[in-house]
Amino acid sequence: MRTLILGIGNTILGDDALGAHVSRELSSRIVDEDIDVRDVSFDGLNLLELFVGYDKLVVIDAIMTENGEVGTIYRLKPEKVCDPSRSAISPHHFNLATTIEIAKRLFPDEMPEEVTLYAVGIREVTQVTEEMTDKVEQAIPEVVKLVLEEVGAA
Amino acid sequence: MSKKIVIEPVTRVEGHGKVTILLDDTGNVDQARFHVTQVRGFEKFCEGRPFWEMPLITARICGICPVSHHLASAKAGDAILGVQLTPTAQKLRRLIHMAQLVQSHALHFFHLASPDLLFGMDADPAKRNVMGLIAELPEAAKKGVKTRAFGQKIIEKMGDKRVHPNAAIPGGMNRALSPETRDAILSEVDEAIANCQFAVELFKDYCVKNPDVVNTFADFASAYLGLVDQNGNVEYYDGKLRLKDGKGYVLEDDIPPESYLSIIEEKVEDWSYLKFPYYKKLGYPRGMYRVGPLGRLNVADGCTTPLANEEFANFKKLNEGGMVQASLYFHYARLIEMLNCAEEIKRLAEDDHICDTDIWVDSDRINEEGIGVIEAPRGTLFHHYWVDRTGKMRRANLIVATGNNNLAMNRAVSEVAREFIKDGNVTEGILNRVEVAIRCYDPCLSCSSHALGHMPLEVAIIDSDGQVRRVLRS
Repeated sequence: MRTLILGIGNTILGDDALGAHVSRELSSRIVDEDIDVRDVSFDGLNLLELFVGYDKLVVIDAIMTENGEVGTIYRLKPEKVCDPSRSAISPHHFNLATTIEIAKRLFPDEMPEEVTLYAVGIREVTQVTEEMTDKVEQAIPEVVKLVLEEVGAA
Repeated sequence: MSKKIVIEPVTRVEGHGKVTILLDDTGNVDQARFHVTQVRGFEKFCEGRPFWEMPLITARICGICPVSHHLASAKAGDAILGVQLTPTAQKLRRLIHMAQLVQSHALHFFHLASPDLLFGMDADPAKRNVMGLIAELPEAAKKGVKTRAFGQKIIEKMGDKRVHPNAAIPGGMNRALSPETRDAILSEVDEAIANCQFAVELFKDYCVKNPDVVNTFADFASAYLGLVDQNGNVEYYDGKLRLKDGKGYVLEDDIPPESYLSIIEEKVEDWSYLKFPYYKKLGYPRGMYRVGPLGRLNVADGCTTPLANEEFANFKKLNEGGMVQASLYFHYARLIEMLNCAEEIKRLAEDDHICDTDIWVDSDRINEEGIGVIEAPRGTLFHHYWVDRTGKMRRANLIVATGNNNLAMNRAVSEVAREFIKDGNVTEGILNRVEVAIRCYDPCLSCSSHALGHMPLEVAIIDSDGQVRRVLRS
């Protein structure tokens, strides 16, 4: 079974960097040739081709929610988080569920059966900085542990 | 410390495009404001860093057009070093730039814009999206994906397999093009060109069926800015700035990009983080100008490649050689450019010297100032750096394409709002049309990278006494 672990985050945008840091930590811990670990700082449709050819996908990202607390860890199924049928006004705005749905329809036999998302609550992503806030940074080891369990590499 | 793990779904993700429509005493539109999310502190972040790191840092500003920032930054670095690139390095930079343009334009047209055109602005949003496109026109969707992927693959091959490219450096490029990559490009380029032609025909078909919509939707006069080459053709990588007014009169021509401050000034408004550039001589806000595909085609006399040039002639005929101003023509211009760039990719890949290895020149000079200007997919992009004698950044000023279009986007939204809000009455359908108007300009709205969430467009209608009358959300 082929697994892709994908961390999404921009390392110069404060807490947005979470996904990138988690996947970099994971890539130094995982030695299994059936598991690929990548970190990317782009989103939406640019992710499309990355999924193809895997059986299982684990995505790590930061999340901003209405009443959520900073540092809270979420385990989510993308299709429950966002509606794939919503239109967008910018290419930045394609959500993961939409991207997965598009890929499923275009490459039906090559898409992961199982997609899981680990997200950590953040509050702000407009300040350019390499510093993360304490609560988000402290969540990194826990997310690393959870993803290792998720892919059976703990 | 153990963290709480939450499993229940999150219903809403924050962050959205926001429009405020301000009404006057009679309940008619006074002005519209499109609030663009903008990252802050970038200039501060750059201070003290060596200028040669800037192409990598600035590529991280945007997950959508990183190559454009990467190249504008490298060009500013060339100016700091005071070097002329080798012909091979120039060609390689053009090649990766053309690939970015094809990638970005394909994504925008097929996945964002075409559902509006194919299903109409009043179609149910649940259908008027890329899923609807896949269901109704799977072939078009596949062509869109393939065209985008064609550009994307070139970027990855040339940029060290990252989306945030590591290809250009001040003084040139850091790796030559391998013959294998060139052959891979050549094996796919004809299909890419055909797909671009397909997209052009799709748009023209829409025009034939909906002449009234396309000719009147968010139609207003403005000036236009873009780079042109020495023959007056549309130019994306180098060239000189040309500015025309809404009647087609040339206001400025042959302006070296490094003299941009002689024609452009920026205004700060307290309600927006994004500055408002304008044409100096006409003042603010009369000096509004538009950039991007419509701006480039309106200022130019032609395209460099045969198929695109043929289509350019058709574009010019729309207004008998005059300016094409209705916002939906942004899409037509975008597709002509996509074709132009795909043809350019073929021409570059067929160049006998494209795989040469003379890709970098050294310099022992460090000028205190460097300016790099490029036509990014969304329009003219300025990177202006000041450095100390050791090459450490003292200051940076960036004017991005979405900034250049800032005044015009507000104007486009105002035009739509005026049609749909009369004497205090708001007509249904306004939200969809505001969305469509904004999409024409393909703005960059956020530089954070997030996979999650639907980012709704929020339109707030505010009375003259400051009271919120209505809030619409997509």
